[in-house]
Amino acid sequence: MSVNNQSVDFAVISATVAGELYRAGNVAKKLSLAAKNSRAVVLRAGSNAAGLKVISDYFAELAANAISLSGQVNAVALSVSQMAVERWHRENLTKNLDRSQAIEYHSSLEFNVRQVAEQMGEINGRFRKSISKLKDQLDDIHNQMQASSVVAVTFRLEATQTGEFRPLLEDMANNIEGYSADIKNHIQRSQLQIAQLAL
Amino acid sequence: MEAQKIYNGNHQWYVFARDSAKPEKIIDTNQYLVTSGNDSLILDPGGIEIFSAMLSGVLKFIPIENITHLFASHQDPDIISSLGMWDQVVPNAKLHSPWLWEGFIRHFGMENIEFCGIRDEGGEFMIGNTRLIFIPAHYLHSSANFHIYDPVAKILFSGDVGAALEPPEASIWMEDFDAHTEKMKFFHQRWMPSNEAKMHWLNRVRKLDIEMMLPQHGRIFRGEEVQQFFDWFEALDVGIAVR
Repeated sequence: MSVNNQSVDFAVISATVAGELYRAGNVAKKLSLAAKNSRAVVLRAGSNAAGLKVISDYFAELAANAISLSGQVNAVALSVSQMAVERWHRENLTKNLDRSQAIEYHSSLEFNVRQVAEQMGEINGRFRKSISKLKDQLDDIHNQMQASSVVAVTFRLEATQTGEFRPLLEDMANNIEGYSADIKNHIQRSQLQIAQLAL
Repeated sequence: MEAQKIYNGNHQWYVFARDSAKPEKIIDTNQYLVTSGNDSLILDPGGIEIFSAMLSGVLKFIPIENITHLFASHQDPDIISSLGMWDQVVPNAKLHSPWLWEGFIRHFGMENIEFCGIRDEGGEFMIGNTRLIFIPAHYLHSSANFHIYDPVAKILFSGDVGAALEPPEASIWMEDFDAHTEKMKFFHQRWMPSNEAKMHWLNRVRKLDIEMMLPQHGRIFRGEEVQQFFDWFEALDVGIAVR
């Protein structure tokens, strides 16, 4: 990745997570569309598919949640990325000030050094809080997608009772299951990345 | 920062623009990305203040190891002051920029990236399987300045030529050319120093088949709007500060 520097790595990791979440959001939009389609087919199937109505409503709600949550998490990831770059700036400044201080007559820089150290502490505090929030939000989406995969299995079983609509609904169950798995993969990759962001 | 694909063939072009999170007094810039296979090029990657937004934007579409080339049309800070940061995150990348600016651009910090100076007369280079052409645009506005032409996508990246100053909420697409000329007029009259350089550039680019012209500030020109711009620019007297 980068040349051996923690702040640089943090900037790249948080930007990578923002990218993963953007892609998760795009899949969530497809999931939402699949859920809406399944609801329409369930309505057409009438009493044969009565049991599926609740499930397709659940998927629609789940997709809406996933879109909104991935947008929120993406915003947090972007702000973490900005903070990582801020840390990087301060770190460079600290290095340069240290270098200047090593030269005689530059003790007047002590105030600046202290000020930058305080700013660094403040950024680190914000950084830790945001990372913790990011982890919680990612866990939420992950759990929702886990549940979605389970409900998709029930959906497929129920679909076997729907006569002529069976192939169509089974296909939709596969789509929903596939999209849920895709989102879960993006979230898992994000979680793995985030695990490296420890100060 | 808004990010969208603007060309999708065997290779792709993306635009990154309208960063609503950037500090208010910083000029808004458009950045572009060309991807071809596992290689990619960021055109005028931007200033240090938009680095994190730009990095996050690019990583929406490609992994970091695919950022293999950078291009700086000239030496200005809004073009390439983020170089010191790209240098750390993509240390194996190459920077293509006018040869004349190497000693200046290195002030932004470049310990790892390889500098590939572009000769005054321009030239060609490959990104993956995609051939791109450096079009000389000297004195428009910088004294050593290049644009990039993609003959397959028929796209001309035109740097500061075609630029306009727009609020962050403005569309990236041209909607009303005549109304837009008011936003371009002062920029071109004051930043562009030479009518001779302008005509030299126009004679060169009028021979190209262009479907989209991408400036580094302002809006994207499509189809007829490109020729409209050439005509408007030709008639515009530039270099007004010395008259």
